This record gives sequence, C-alpha cells and structure tokens, in this order.
Amino acid sequence: MVLIVRDLVAGYGAADEILKGVSLSVGAGEIVSIIGPNGAGKSTCLKVIAGLLAPRRGSVTFKGHEIAGLPARRTAALGLAYVAQENNVFPSLSIQENLAIGGYLNPSTRRRRSDEIMGQFPLLRERRRDAARALSGGQRQTLAVAMALMSEPALLVLDEPSAGLSPVAAETLFETIVAIKAAGVSVLMIEQNALDALAISDRAYILVLGQNRQDGPAADLANDPEIRTIFLGG
Amino acid sequence: MIETILQLAANGIMSGAVLAVAAIGFTMMFAVLRFPNFSLAGHMAGGAYAGWIANTMFGLPLPLALLCGFLVAGGIGVASDFIVLRPLRRAAPITLAIASVAISLFIENALRFGFGNDLRSFDLPLARDWVIGWLRLGPQQVQNAGLAIVAMLILFVIFTFTQTGRAMRATADNAGLAAVKGIDTEKITRLVSFLGMGLAGAAGVLLGADTSIEPLLGLKVILSVFAAAVLGGLGSIPGAVLGAFAIGIVEEASQIVVPATYKGAVGFVAILLVLSFRPSGFLGRRQT
Repeated sequence: MVLIVRDLVAGYGAADEILKGVSLSVGAGEIVSIIGPNGAGKSTCLKVIAGLLAPRRGSVTFKGHEIAGLPARRTAALGLAYVAQENNVFPSLSIQENLAIGGYLNPSTRRRRSDEIMGQFPLLRERRRDAARALSGGQRQTLAVAMALMSEPALLVLDEPSAGLSPVAAETLFETIVAIKAAGVSVLMIEQNALDALAISDRAYILVLGQNRQDGPAADLANDPEIRTIFLGG
Repeated sequence: MIETILQLAANGIMSGAVLAVAAIGFTMMFAVLRFPNFSLAGHMAGGAYAGWIANTMFGLPLPLALLCGFLVAGGIGVASDFIVLRPLRRAAPITLAIASVAISLFIENALRFGFGNDLRSFDLPLARDWVIGWLRLGPQQVQNAGLAIVAMLILFVIFTFTQTGRAMRATADNAGLAAVKGIDTEKITRLVSFLGMGLAGAAGVLLGADTSIEPLLGLKVILSVFAAAVLGGLGSIPGAVLGAFAIGIVEEASQIVVPATYKGAVGFVAILLVLSFRPSGFLGRRQT
C-alpha cells in the first residue's frame, strides 16, 4: 500500500473533533474516492494526510514513512502532492512560473518535466506567459493538477477537483485523472459528483460524521441501492 | 514657472528613486508577513550609520558603504524578526505592527546611546551642480538615484528569473499553498526580512549621503515610504516604485503652493485620498 491511514482523530479546535477514528488505504496505481455527506470530515481527512493539520491521534503511513503531524513541505518532499479545492494556484505568477513552483523540490528535472507537462496540456503551453489569475475555473483546476504532477508524485490527493466546473470541464478533468492513474500515480480524492467519482475509481470509502460507514470496490458501491438512495441522490 | 516645475519634477524623480528602495522593502515584507512593519524606520537609521562608519572610518566609497548599510540592516532585520516578531507570528496584524514600532524605538535609541543626537555627514567629494538647459542637478543626487535604480534592477532580476525569487512571490501570493509545494515558508520569511530591511538600510545610506544622518532619519521619512506603498497598492512591488515616484514628485511640487516644511504632509494627504477613493492603490492585488 502507498498510503495507510489508521484510526485518525482530528479537529480544528480544542473541543472540536471532526474525524473520530477514520481508517483507509490507497494501493499503488489505484484511484480511491472518499464520499459522504457535508460535515463527514472528508476535507479534514485530506488536510491531515497532506500535513496541513496535525492529528490528535492515529497514524498516517506513506511509502513506509510515518507522516502524521509532519509539515506539508515534508510530506511533499516524500512524494505526496495535494491539490486543494480552492486557491490552488498562485494567481500573480505566470503559468510557467506556477509549474516551476510545482517542481520546486526537483530542480534537476524541472525543465524536462515542465516540457512534458506542457506537452500533455497544450493549453498551458499556449498560455504559459499569462498570469494564472487570467484562467477560467476549469483551466485553473487543470493548472493545479499539472503543478502537482510536476513533482512526479507517488500519490495525488485531490479535494473536490470538479467543484465549480462546467460538466464539459469536469469530464475533461476526470479523463485527466484516469490518464494520471495510467501513468502509475495513485490518486486519493473526494468529489461532490460522487457517481462520476465512483465511475473512475477502483475503490471508495463512505464517511459519515467523521467515521467509516462502508467501503469496497467502487462499482459495487455505485450499484448498491441503499448507497445510491442515501449518498448518491438515487 | 515651467522651469520651476521641471526642476521640481527632476528633484522629485531623484528623491522618489531613493524612496522607492525603502518602499519596495516595506511592501515586500507586507506581502509576505501581512502586517505593516514600521521598524523599517529604525532599520533605515541602522543601515545609514553602518554605511557612515564604512565611509568615514574605513574610507570605503559610497557603493561599498551602501552594501555595508544593506548587509547590516538586513542582519538586524533577521535578528529582530527572530527575537520579536517570530513568536508573534500568529497574532493579529495590529499586534505585530505595534511590536514593529517598539523595535524601531529600540534601534533608534540604541543609535542615540552609541552615537548621540548630532547630525553626521558622509565623507564625499564636493562637486558643482550639473546644468542641463534649465535644469540644475546635484551630482550626488544623480549618483544616489542611479544606485537606487541599480538596486531595483537587481531586485527585479532576483524576483523574475531566480527560483528563490519565484518562491518569495509564491509565498506572498499564498503561503499555505507554497508550503504544500515544498517551500520552506519560514526560511522565505527570514529572507524577505533580510532583503526588506537591507533595502531600508540602503535607502538610509542614500538619504544620508544626500544630506546627513541622525538616529531619527528613518522616522522622518517613514510616512512617505508608507504613503508610497499604500498609493501603489500594499504588497505590489511595481506599485511601490510607482507610488514612490509619485510621492517624490508631488512632495517637491507641493513647494510651489506650500512652504517646504509642509512637504511631509503630502504623505498624509496621499494616504487619505487613496483610502477614500481607491483603497487597493494603483496596482493593489485583487482577490481572485
């Protein structure tokens, strides 16, 4: 397993416990989704994994290293790339500069990787000198994912990647995620379009009120009538 | 009349160039640290004294004295950040701003304790003004403006073409995201404190070379520096340069209508107008 999370307890304030013992895992080359209602603790879980929030208890093991409580830059250095739902690009930097910052930890491969990424996303090449603030929502999300890929991560962690995107842009993004998996990168994501997420995922976890409710192969969960009714809008 | 206006404009451009060096330091620290660091005034004076010692005691020429002022003020900036501001990093901006005023008072009084209140001058050759048509330009002022512009160009190159410069701009944009990308934002904060206060020290040397130095040298211009940064848009480096030239020119031009002693009021008026009509300044950042 690339990532193993065990009994994670975390929150933002002293009396505020959002995660109440969450466990999950992501295997090599897998796409794993976390779904659940608002307030389930999905985003909090990803923040703890990425090193943006220290857990109170529990462990997070990434490629054999215990990373719970490590700062974000240390988890990034180990090969974990996190893409936040919002504010995930540097608006005043050009697209080229955003990619350069994406590869900040890999100076020797930065130029080669930037060329590869721009080959993969022609739009970024065309607009490489434009400030990121000039991009549309979908284009920004593409840039955010491209920045994450600059570091050649072992695990890509995506927080609601299709939030605010048009259906066409969201479809393109999901195709990109599938292509990322095909390149050997593991993906852990939470997604508001749960059915779309399950359609491209290998496995999924359902969280409710900060605890594991159910997990299994994504196709099985997508076809479970009870799950469809309660969590997938019928 | 036109001759007077042109002369004042030329003077304003030259004083604006020196002001711009300090304003860049102020605004770049604001962009990363998110509070107005008024200890810039004390660091300007500290840098000016370091440059003065290098020039008058060790006989170094102005460019090297400028470098000394930059390095010493930058060093004091890192130390004051580490000792005073770092423990308050999570406090409200107003708390940090007040702490920065305390740092400034400490540095100014340390200088007063060591050197007294006397005005001190750099050991620079006297030269006749250059007369170009209607304009009279002091060679020292021109040299100061030239050195200020060189400092700005070096900074431009660092910010635009180096990965460290990009990391500083990225941290200013979004420190949390910068950390996720592997940037050591605390290290960047120290670097920004060094550069920002170093620039303040360099500006202090240039101001001292133009007139004289004293412990309150920085305090006397901090309002103009703050006004330049606000006018350009807090956090915007091109804005700070633009704001500094605007303040420099308007301060000089104001002498047509008010006595020179009221020149400092221009900063107050500029801040008032900006906050009333365009709070984000000329090139202020828009939230996107």
